[in-house]
Formats: sequence, C-alpha cells, structure tokens
Amino acid sequence: MTAETLSALLLSVRVAVLATVANAVVGIPLAYVLARRRFRGRALVDLLVTLPLILPPTVTGYYLIVVLGRRGWLGAPLYAATGWSIAFTWYAAVVAATVMALPLLVRTARAAIDSVDRDLERAAHTLGRSEWRTALEVTLPLARNGILAGLVLAFARALGEFGATLMLAGNIPGRTTTVPLAIYTAVQTGEERVALLLVAILTALSCVVLVVANRLGARAA
Amino acid sequence: MTARLEVRLVKRLPGFTLDVGWTADGGVAALFGPSGAGKSLTLQCMAGLLRPDAGRIVVDGRVLFDAAAGTDVPPQARRVGYVFQGYALFPHLTVADNVGFGLRDRPHVERARRVAEVIARLGLAGLDRRYPGELSGGQRQRVALGRALAIDPALLLLDEPLSALDAPLRRTLRDELRAVLTEWGAAAVVVTHDFPEAYRLGDRIVVYEGGRVVQAAPRTELLWQPASEAVARIMGIPNVLHGTVVKATPDRIQLRWRGQILEAVNSPTRSYLPPPEAPIAFFIRPEYVRLVRKDRGPADPHHHMNVMSGLVVADEDFGTTWLLRIRLDEPGAPAQGGWDLEVEVPHLVYEILEIERDRRWEFSIHRGSIHVLPA
Repeated sequence: MTAETLSALLLSVRVAVLATVANAVVGIPLAYVLARRRFRGRALVDLLVTLPLILPPTVTGYYLIVVLGRRGWLGAPLYAATGWSIAFTWYAAVVAATVMALPLLVRTARAAIDSVDRDLERAAHTLGRSEWRTALEVTLPLARNGILAGLVLAFARALGEFGATLMLAGNIPGRTTTVPLAIYTAVQTGEERVALLLVAILTALSCVVLVVANRLGARAA
Repeated sequence: MTARLEVRLVKRLPGFTLDVGWTADGGVAALFGPSGAGKSLTLQCMAGLLRPDAGRIVVDGRVLFDAAAGTDVPPQARRVGYVFQGYALFPHLTVADNVGFGLRDRPHVERARRVAEVIARLGLAGLDRRYPGELSGGQRQRVALGRALAIDPALLLLDEPLSALDAPLRRTLRDELRAVLTEWGAAAVVVTHDFPEAYRLGDRIVVYEGGRVVQAAPRTELLWQPASEAVARIMGIPNVLHGTVVKATPDRIQLRWRGQILEAVNSPTRSYLPPPEAPIAFFIRPEYVRLVRKDRGPADPHHHMNVMSGLVVADEDFGTTWLLRIRLDEPGAPAQGGWDLEVEVPHLVYEILEIERDRRWEFSIHRGSIHVLPA
C-alpha cells in the first residue's frame, strides 16, 4: 500500500468520524424538534435538511461553494477577516460529508422519535419533568436504537461521499483526497490494483455498516 | 362549604368544543359518557397537558388554572397524579425506577424508602427489578397507580384505568382499584365509558355527552333519578318509554301508556309538574317488575299496583338471570319493536314458575319503580 493510499484511507475515516459527530450534535436535536414541535418554517427546515438526499451531489457541492467558498456569503467575510478559507482543505470534506449525511440521520431519528408514545412524555411531565428533561430521560433513550441506526447510516454516507466533497474540497492528493476520490483517480490513471483494493475495503465496510444498521433497526421495532 | 374540586373548562378544537363545568367534594368523581364526549380531554386540561381556552381549575383551594387571572401552573408543578389509558409505564425503566420517577428531587435514601413503601402497599413486593414488559396487566395497573401515588398527589386522575384488561380481570381489578382509592384517600377523577364501572368507582358521577355535562350527581341519585331521557340512554337503561300525562302532583304522576293508566312516584325535590296530555318519558327497571304468581289467587290491589298482562315473546339466558321480552295484551304496535317491556328474573324464579313452558303472565310494577324522566 502506497503512502497516498494509506493517507486516503486515514483521511476518509477521520472525515467520516467527524462528520458523524457533527451529525449527532446537529441532527439529533433537529430530529427531535421536527418530530415534536410545531413552529413556523418547520416545513422549510425539513425541506432544506432533506434536499441533499434528492439533489445531485455536485449541486449540493455548488451551493456549499456559494455559501462557504472564498467569495461565498459566509466564506468572503471569513476570508477578509482571517485570510483563511475552508475551501480545498480537509475541513471542507468534513462539511460536505456532514451535509450529505444529515438527511439520513434526521429522517431515521425523527421516525424513531415519532414512534415514542406521547403518553410516556405526558407521564414524565406530570411527574415533574420539564420538556428538556423528558427528552433526555424518556424520549431519546426510547428512540436510541433508531438514532444509532441513523448514525451508522450517516457514517456510511460520509465515508462514501464523492460529488460534494470534490466540489468544495477538491482532490488534492495527501490533503483532500478521500477513498472515493482516490478510487476515481486510480481508475483514471490506470492503477487497477489500487482501485480494486480501495473498492474492496469500501464494499466490506459498507456491508458491515448495513448489517449493524439492520440489527439496530430490528431492535428498535 | 366549598368544593374540593372545581372544574370549568372551554376548549375549542377543530370540529369539537369542550364546554363543561362541575364540582366534587373529594372522594372519587367518575366522568362517564360515550367515547369522544370530552372526558379524557378534561383530564388532560386538569393535568396541564392541554391548555384550555377559558375556565378555571381549583383543587383544594389551589388555583391550577384561571384564564381570567392568567394563571397556568405547568404540569410538572401541579402535583397531579395521572394514570394513563394503557398505563404509559416507562419500558426502559424497572418497576422501582418507574415508581420513583416522580421523586427525583428527594434525597436518595428518602426516595428509596418511599419507593419501597409504595411497592409494598400495592402488593408489588419482589417485582421491583422487573421491567414493565415482564408484568401482567394487573401488575402494570398497580405500578401505574404506584407511580402516580408516590408523589403524594393532591389529585389523582385515571383515564379508563381498566380498559386495557380482559373482562374477568376487569371486575377483580375494579374492586381492587376502588379499595386503593379509598385507602389512599386522595381526591380522584376516573374516566370511563362503562356505567357499572363508573358506579362502582365513583362517589359522584358526571355524565358527559358531546363535550357537555348533562348531569352531575351522587351515584345513587343518578341511578334513580337520571335528569333526562338523554342521560338515561347514555347510561344504557332499558325500558325507556314514552306516554302521556294524565295528572301530575308533587309526589305522584299518573300517565297513560299502551292502553294502561300507570301511577309513578314524582320527586318533590325537583318539582316536575307537566300539564295533562303532555308527552312524558319514563323508565321501568327490568329487575323491578314482579310476576303475579298464579298459585296464589288473583292479583290483590293492595299488594299489586300497575297490573298488566302479556305474553313472553322471547327470552335470553344471561347465566344468573333470564331476560324476558313481554308483549302486552293490547292492540297497537308494541313500544319496543316486537315487545313492550324487558323483565329480568333470577334463574330460580324462572325455574319455579316454569316460564319456559308457561308464557302468559300477569305482572305488576310498584309506583316507586316507574321513574319519570323530566323533559
């Protein structure tokens, strides 16, 4: 295994783990709010979160450039203030993977939270719990398996992300080249053995993820 | 004396408006009525789980909600125990943790002592480390009760507490529940759509229909003096009949029905004096109709009043009693389809009188057993 292949593998794992953590931090509260609260703009938030699931990844990537690129809505003021831009760094790969994986977690976790009997939450309220404590002690523990299944799916999605990552982070060997990008490069340059190795690793990982997610899903049901 | 429990609520929902008011002096109040009448909605408002549009809820002088004054105590501060339909036990917690769930603020030692006490008092000893999924229906009910009672609630609310159980268990647990409610002495409100259950559990019964209260009365008063024909029908009373007034005085009402002149007792307290020829609704309890024994001579006017004769056109065996459907010997259409009256007799009577073979009977109804339903 060459240094570049190893670096792609390590980068992919690092990106997927961080994207999954980011998903947990953003996605679980988001799933809870979407499942349990009625507020203005709820449909819009739902749409925005789900969109990356439907859009071509390059389109999502394009929007990310529009927002975070050196001349983007958020990217330009950041660049002006610090001289630093997230574009074409490995952080960009984390952001792209997070956005692409978020719908999988939010939809799965939301379904799990939806299936928790509201009477259990009402019972907790009458027994002295605020909504916040009820969510922590009753709703989320009971939705745990669904949430974990969602996180596993999000991890898998983050690991395999290609299009949006290419748009925002580019394909800089040793810096932003994740495994899917490395596979693409290897095929383009005729390095059949490298491509085969990476494909085999990703396939195996995906199978493991699917089995784990199914087990969790079955226990949640 | 002011009532311990005072409820006045208006809650508008799409296609349904709850607009009720009632009071209770401690003990157990049973909210009774058909499904969808607004009984559970009332409980949710009382627990603070649903915010009424208007009204006032007072428990033992403590104002929990007052729309006019802007008071709305949140559910977690109301100290109201709630037993949910289906119990809503936390499936991920043990019996002990379920019972102790409302005691989180207490010191550990005190909490453990209280949980142990509640578990012992409700006969759940030895089950404290089980999970709800490992309990029988009756045990679950007791855990739900224990969880609600552990917080020493000012008020206990029970939503169809027996509906999740099988019929044989229902009766046992109904009596058990009654005993627990009496023993703990907490003011309680029970929701049920089953009249025997409301009667057995409630000291006072509040009858709901279509989002309104149609009657609120002590249980015996409700049993003998339903306020209207609508209430009698909700209660499922058989033999609700229609006649014409002959003469009404404060303590007697004479009425005409199916060619008979019947005499009924009027209640002086409610001073219901319909004019002659006015239509009048009344009911006759099937178990209070007396068959006149043929081996003891003709009907004696001193012993028998409101004497009629008719033919048993159908009967049904209910295990301990027989239900006879009797058609009067009068021309014209029977009052209830194919028959005029339903009469209930114990098995023993059915056998001694050989009703299976002998179908023609004279019977009498004491005036006190004909109950007039005010319009």
